Amino acid sequence: MKKFMPPIILAVLCFLPLVGLSSYAMHILVLVIMWSIIGMGWNLLGGYCGQVSFGHAAFFGMGAYSSGLLYYHFGISGWWGLLVSIPVLTITSLVIGFICLRLRGAYFALATLALGEVLRVTAENLVKFTQGDLGILIKQRTWVEKTWYFYVILLLAAGSFLLVKKVMESKLGYYFVAIREDQDAANSLGINTTLYKTIALCLSGVLTGMAGAFYMNYMGYIDPTTVFPLYDISIVTVMVVMVGGVATYWGPVIGALIMVFLAEVIRSMPKIGAAHQTLFGILLIFIIIFLPNGIVGDFRKITGLFKPRGALK
Amino acid sequence: MKKMSVIFAVSFLAAFFAGSLFAQEVKFAIPLPLTGTNAKFGEIEKRSYEIAMEEINAKGGVKGKKIVLVFEDSQGKPEVARSIAEKLIDVKKQPVIFGEYSSSCSKAIAAVAEERKTPYLVVTGATDDITQQNYKYVFRLNPTNAYYASGLISFFKEVVKPMSIAILYESSDFGTSGAEDMVKQAEKFPMKVLTKEQYEKGAVDFKPILSKVKSEKPDVIYMVSYVMDASLLMRQIKELRIDAKLYAGGAAGFAIPEFIQSAKEAAEYVVTATLWSPQVVYPGAKEFAEKYKKLYQDYPSYHGAEAYSALYIIKDVLTRAKSWTPDGIRVAMKGTNMVTAFGPIRFEDKAGYTNQNFMDTLVLQVINGQFETIWPQKYATKKYVYPIPRWRDRK
Repeated sequence: MKKFMPPIILAVLCFLPLVGLSSYAMHILVLVIMWSIIGMGWNLLGGYCGQVSFGHAAFFGMGAYSSGLLYYHFGISGWWGLLVSIPVLTITSLVIGFICLRLRGAYFALATLALGEVLRVTAENLVKFTQGDLGILIKQRTWVEKTWYFYVILLLAAGSFLLVKKVMESKLGYYFVAIREDQDAANSLGINTTLYKTIALCLSGVLTGMAGAFYMNYMGYIDPTTVFPLYDISIVTVMVVMVGGVATYWGPVIGALIMVFLAEVIRSMPKIGAAHQTLFGILLIFIIIFLPNGIVGDFRKITGLFKPRGALK
Repeated sequence: MKKMSVIFAVSFLAAFFAGSLFAQEVKFAIPLPLTGTNAKFGEIEKRSYEIAMEEINAKGGVKGKKIVLVFEDSQGKPEVARSIAEKLIDVKKQPVIFGEYSSSCSKAIAAVAEERKTPYLVVTGATDDITQQNYKYVFRLNPTNAYYASGLISFFKEVVKPMSIAILYESSDFGTSGAEDMVKQAEKFPMKVLTKEQYEKGAVDFKPILSKVKSEKPDVIYMVSYVMDASLLMRQIKELRIDAKLYAGGAAGFAIPEFIQSAKEAAEYVVTATLWSPQVVYPGAKEFAEKYKKLYQDYPSYHGAEAYSALYIIKDVLTRAKSWTPDGIRVAMKGTNMVTAFGPIRFEDKAGYTNQNFMDTLVLQVINGQFETIWPQKYATKKYVYPIPRWRDRK
């Protein structure tokens, strides 16, 4: 049964636009799927390889800008950005990995945190190249309807899911987990830790960057503060994975569902909606205290709650 | 149990009578940043919309229908603003959208509105390009950034006649385009731009930048920034005793009461461009300002006046519209010609803009700890103080 879950869910999602959902619902769905891709990217590096990054906005923004700049400077469709972002982010990740991945634990986290901010300030100040704070605006988005955006992002998500699964089932995946569990032990077993950490960073960066490139094409407008922010992207990325379940395949998807869909639902509720930030914060605290492995990771704990008491005996 | 049923009956009756006053109600949801860094401005606007709503309802609403406003928190994030716009169009079937504070959120909504062919009235987003996209369904009541300083420029030309200027601006959409525009104006003047420095929003120390400015001795120091930065800039200018002929602010943070409260005597004689002040001669402006002050102990900034007037424009448009459909409202919106508390409103297509309202902007000066309108002279409430005393000659 478990084996057939991904194709079943994919098939259901494929048929969703045919049901005639409102464009508002589609927008939320697209955002959920986009965030689950970012989450999957982060999960590969932070969840499986154990290198916690607080700067994924850097990759997201790089992706968004590689798409936006192609449109702005060369006048070609922003969709090329999806392809271009792959080499751009691979190179960026290599450079960053070379510098930052020699650091461990909190120092690596701090270095990535700085990275996001550095890129934001850079994008703000290279006015000739990026238009600075004026941002980049696509005059005419490709489609008005959400259907095609939905299929594009769904395809990307399916690809990312498959990639993460394949990587984790290969030798590479075992190296990642070994590094997470004990870097020195992994090293002594002959694993070139810096190399494999860099590979994890590259894969993670590319996935996040592609989501960024999609964002540019989908929203039609970016500026440094919308794609490089610390709170709205970097921290939310970490939350998506933490809430959903670290080092699980479905964790980022469930996390995105909660961080985007549930956040929107709470915000839309009449009366109590005014306190949505507070309510949402409390919910997150609860999840982190009682389900430290996230919803997917602690799924048994949740189902255990609903089982009749007698069953536990 | 009995008690409950009594309460139910009473509330039912109350609801019935309240309902019978107005045959029907018309509901609008307004996207605004109610949390996050722009929340201060969101709050001013929310209060102003509510004042306008009560006034309009007290006079019989729109075509006998009571206006009900709901506020949706966009958190100042473009994608949330976009979600709200999609929801209003799709789920709530609202035929017209208005509101939002920042330029980036206004852009996000404008794109949706144009695609979905629903009129959108931009209330405060000031970046030039929102109305330069040839959008047919996007209207803007506030002048664009390029016109914010027009009053200030004429004050420079006729009174100050400066030879050089230093421009400091915050790194944001608003700051950058404001500074760019001042550079363009300075070239025409001609006035030499000695420095053009960008700084991070919410910086804690401006002394490095200001020391540079001091060494260059500009005639005018022009600053585009929000509240906290505005008052800190002036306080540090005072500490460093930078004597320029004039300190000028480009609206936003310099034109709201908090500026005087936190900069104190350093704010004295600072001039600022603004779109509106409580002393303007437009009908209803003074009444609105006084009402706002009575309720919230402070005068509203121009953002408040914009929001307050926006609802009056919507009311006017709905009254004239043949049908309350997006297209009916768009046609009526295009034909708007009215004077609001914020000023005269007409949506024109000229100088590369579409559906843009053009109007005179004002110059305020802080005199004896109060904002006074000093320019253009026909709107002046007090004579300007110029030349201003040097720091060491002040008490």
